[in-house]
Amino acid sequence: MKVEAEQYGDRTVYTVSAFNRGVAAWLARLPTVWVEGEVTELRRQQRWQSVFFTLKDPGDGACLPASMPRGQFDALRLDLRNGERVHVYGRPELFEARGELRFRALSIERFGLGDHLAALERLKQKLGAEGLFAPDRKRRLPRFPRRVGLLTGNDAAAKRDVLTAITTRFPSARVVVAETYVQGPRAAPALVTALEDLCRAEEIDVIVLARGGGSFEDLLPFSDERLVRAVASCPVPIVSAVGHEQDTPLTDLAADARASTPSVAARLVVPDADEVRERLTQTRRRLQRAPLHLLERKRARLDGAYGRLRALSPRATLERGYAIVRDGGRIVREATEVATGERVEVELGQGGFSATVEETR
Amino acid sequence: MTFEEAQKELEQIVQQLESGQANLDDAIKLWERGEELHRLCLEQLDSAQGKIEVLKPTEPA
Repeated sequence: MKVEAEQYGDRTVYTVSAFNRGVAAWLARLPTVWVEGEVTELRRQQRWQSVFFTLKDPGDGACLPASMPRGQFDALRLDLRNGERVHVYGRPELFEARGELRFRALSIERFGLGDHLAALERLKQKLGAEGLFAPDRKRRLPRFPRRVGLLTGNDAAAKRDVLTAITTRFPSARVVVAETYVQGPRAAPALVTALEDLCRAEEIDVIVLARGGGSFEDLLPFSDERLVRAVASCPVPIVSAVGHEQDTPLTDLAADARASTPSVAARLVVPDADEVRERLTQTRRRLQRAPLHLLERKRARLDGAYGRLRALSPRATLERGYAIVRDGGRIVREATEVATGERVEVELGQGGFSATVEETR
Repeated sequence: MTFEEAQKELEQIVQQLESGQANLDDAIKLWERGEELHRLCLEQLDSAQGKIEVLKPTEPA
């Protein structure tokens, strides 16, 4: 009979073996679960009962030792290699002889690119059906933002490229940078938090979400449902500048605009300083000429009116040889208006004279 | 007033003046307003010192 524990006064002291057995019994009550990770340190030998490997979290590198009976492992015919992403179905177990925790695998499924793509496609369909990517949700970007928010990784390259592109195009641009994780499982929630911070900052009229190129898996946080929703509901117009031309993370679809390169992003969010100045100079020139033009036009109109006035004047008619006869200031149009012997005034093109009516007809 | 608003109003004023429909009194007022808007735009272009700030992040919970 094994000794489980001994009493030393009021202290109960267990043997290592008893302790391990106790923990193992507790662990055995935990349910079977699926765990996703990368296979590393895969060890399989003919003379071993089990195949051993370590499951690694690609996000932060956390590790879980795992094992599977060799016969079962071989029957799966997975031909697993280190670095492959898998789903493992199993339960935790304590290797009592060494007090080591281990995940006892009951089944292993490879989680390949196809699975990622399928999951992504399902999410895309779902969010698309909700209208998150609808063209009528896209807002116009401001032409002259007071401040530009830049949400980027602490990896220097993407940040530097976008900042350089913005300040080259518009040297007086004011940019507020929010840095956070852009890779791994912590990236999506961290990006959402940083985006909310940026939206709360003052005077930010447009936001650029920037990340350099990377593998399909590197860019997965930019297709994370939480981040995609945050981009779609962002109160400030937002540009997604993630990865390269061939990549289409879902943030590209949810944003108001997408940029395939840092310089495209810069063109979208700030105006070209030289063009702005040139346009302003041109407008000023027109403004300064405008009153003069206006005066000239008014003058021309006046001249035109005067010309027509003169053409209509009776003086022009008199010049042609006609005369006006007035009887006491009243123009005489008919012979009956005057009587013989009456004095009338005659006006000619040049000068005039008085006359006496000799006879009317 | 933002640069964009000032620039837009300035360009509308120029168009209005160039159309020749304003009377002389109005034209002078428009021209003065235009000059003021132009000065506003220039000031904003020149005074907006390029600046890059780093936002202090909220620690994720």
